[in-house]
Amino acid sequence: MRIALAGNPNSGKTTLFNAITGKIEYVGNWPGVTIARKEGDVKKGLNKSGDKIRVVDLPGAYSLSPFTSEENITSEFIKSENPDVIINIVDATNLNRSLFFTTQLLELGIPLVIALNKSDLLKKKGIVVNSLALGKKLGCPVVETTSTEGSGLTDLIDQAIDAHGKKQTSPFTGLSASAADQTTAEKIKHERFAFVNQLVKEVEMRQIASNKQTVQDAADRIIANKILGIPIFAAVIYFVFSLSQTYLGPFFADYLVGWIDNLYGYIESLMGTEVSPVLSSLLLDGIIGGVGAVMGFLPLIMVLFFLLALLEDSGYMARVAVVMDRYLKKVGLSGKSVIPMVIGTGCAIPGVMATRTIRDERQRRTTAMLTPFMPCGAKLPVIALFAGVFFSDAAWVGTSMYFVAIFVIVVGALIVQRITNEGPSKSYFIMELPDYRLPSLKRAFISMMSRAQAFIIRAATIILVCNAAVHIMQTFTWNFQVVETGMENTSILAGISSPFALLFVPLGFGAWQLAAAAIAGFIAKENVIGTLAVVYGLTNFIDTEEFELVSGSGDVAAVMGLTSVAALAYLMFNLFTPPCFAAIGAMNAEMESKKWLWAGISFQFGVGYTLAYFVYQVGTLITTGSFGAGLVPGFAGVAIFISIITYLIRRNDQNSKHILKEAV
Amino acid sequence: MELALANNIFKNRLSNLKDEPVSQHLNLTEADINSPYIIKEIDTQDEQMREFLFTLGCYEGEEVTVISVLTENYVINVKDARYSIDEDLARAILI
Repeated sequence: MRIALAGNPNSGKTTLFNAITGKIEYVGNWPGVTIARKEGDVKKGLNKSGDKIRVVDLPGAYSLSPFTSEENITSEFIKSENPDVIINIVDATNLNRSLFFTTQLLELGIPLVIALNKSDLLKKKGIVVNSLALGKKLGCPVVETTSTEGSGLTDLIDQAIDAHGKKQTSPFTGLSASAADQTTAEKIKHERFAFVNQLVKEVEMRQIASNKQTVQDAADRIIANKILGIPIFAAVIYFVFSLSQTYLGPFFADYLVGWIDNLYGYIESLMGTEVSPVLSSLLLDGIIGGVGAVMGFLPLIMVLFFLLALLEDSGYMARVAVVMDRYLKKVGLSGKSVIPMVIGTGCAIPGVMATRTIRDERQRRTTAMLTPFMPCGAKLPVIALFAGVFFSDAAWVGTSMYFVAIFVIVVGALIVQRITNEGPSKSYFIMELPDYRLPSLKRAFISMMSRAQAFIIRAATIILVCNAAVHIMQTFTWNFQVVETGMENTSILAGISSPFALLFVPLGFGAWQLAAAAIAGFIAKENVIGTLAVVYGLTNFIDTEEFELVSGSGDVAAVMGLTSVAALAYLMFNLFTPPCFAAIGAMNAEMESKKWLWAGISFQFGVGYTLAYFVYQVGTLITTGSFGAGLVPGFAGVAIFISIITYLIRRNDQNSKHILKEAV
Repeated sequence: MELALANNIFKNRLSNLKDEPVSQHLNLTEADINSPYIIKEIDTQDEQMREFLFTLGCYEGEEVTVISVLTENYVINVKDARYSIDEDLARAILI
């Protein structure tokens, strides 16, 4: 048997889904987190029937008439795939709106069970709901649940099994008629809401009217304040970063790195001297060294993901969208574009996929193009490495990267707006503001573990393969001879990356090793770390004191041959060039236009190069008094990029002038 | 303020006289905070948005309250939920 979960956005469907299936799907305390349907089986402990019960979690919808693409998925599924039972998740604190959808669902004839979710909040808000009376009036079972705590679930599943195969009657009919003509449809819609209003009056008692000011509203006025909104956001991000990258993260990382070093030593001793040096070096320096270097950052990332999960759970992110809407609107995007970017801080792929919720095609494509600029989980080790090795205070580097990303996104959106010839956005912005709540440590922990698992799997698969490949290419010359000591420049890797290194001279990092790492980064950003570890023969990036001992150099910068300014330029280049291939694939899918895809990738290249160029050249001028190497050729590259953009904007301006003249 | 009010009444009369459906209502940007208003009309060409607002319970005849004005966004209460809407949308909701 198959159960569909349907309900309003942010009513807790995915949380309920996770609770009854034991899966770990991404949840957040804001509407529109789920954009595609997800399936799982009911846990054995909850399922008394003995038969397999499949549960389908659907994106939130306010009605069966689809308005957004997610609503479309939901209404398509329910109408065409005939689930055996529908569990309608109803936010108990907002019956008045939720039951509109419920009355539509009841008309489908599919047995329906109502999960009166968030019932723990009823008392807090001074609301009394007579669920028995509600069930009687609607003609379906009503079960009070609190999906965040897992209460009421056994009863819910029992009721669903019970309802299977039964007929569902509906207290209100009108769905078939609404297809008829428009005036009847209008009339029926109003009658439906009138029916709901009457019903709510009978089953619900509110001590406090919902339109009275609450503490939450007062908090909103501070948190989403015109002047304070941005500084508060900056402070929150800074706090998250300093905790994950300067304090808590490195504390755990030290242990992990110690274990990895021990493993390295243990395997080295196991192999002894009989194993061919090429093979043992591949295993030790290529695989354990490279993967280990990436894995060393796992604790930092886990702490960050834990804190971000707490933030998402608290309801704060929806306020960030409100604060940002004002700025994004001016550049042709909307507050809706913030959601993909927030999700993009975890991984750009689901971030880009979340652009599906944006109705306007141009806004959707622009957001898909700009979302990968947000530092994702894979870019984080890169940030952490450079912040830790080249800058004593790690937190400001990470925080500022987020703000540079936001700046790049805003400027990027402005440029796209000018090129594609759109006036200031006219699409309306509306977003439900979820209640603030104390974030759950347990949920944040689960979310952190699932993301950590994904990180480990990547490290053990794609990163491992890439590092091995990099190591092999570094070990052999083009004639498949082992590279001799002191002749590292003859390796295949050096051969491939040297031409690219030439391009990077104006950016301050013209070494082939650094170029190789940047190129490997297009496969997956963690590769930047892994490759650096392999080509420089380092394993430990966390504990920089130890790092100095290992490398035998007093100066970390000297090992890589980078000044702090060049390091910052290198970091910027890696963050703001095109993301990994997987994210580019997601961009392709959501943009649905090759033209946009290629424009997007070229734009990302241009931005990365230009930013790194200016950081290096201006930074070098400030720190040393003269420009860095390759000032002129680099400028030529940057100038070409800027003039192409200027040309496109000009061309568009002239086009619109023509149109204006013709109109006159 | 009084003058504006007087003007409004006057305009209303005018439109009544002419018997034309010219909208003389205030929109949400002009609403007082914390006072419930009855929605008179959703003034938009965007039919999809009108439909969507309807499913939220935001349509003519229902109650709306402006809770706060944040930057260029308005926090409103419709049915029993809080929404943040932008100025364009606030202008389209006539009260």
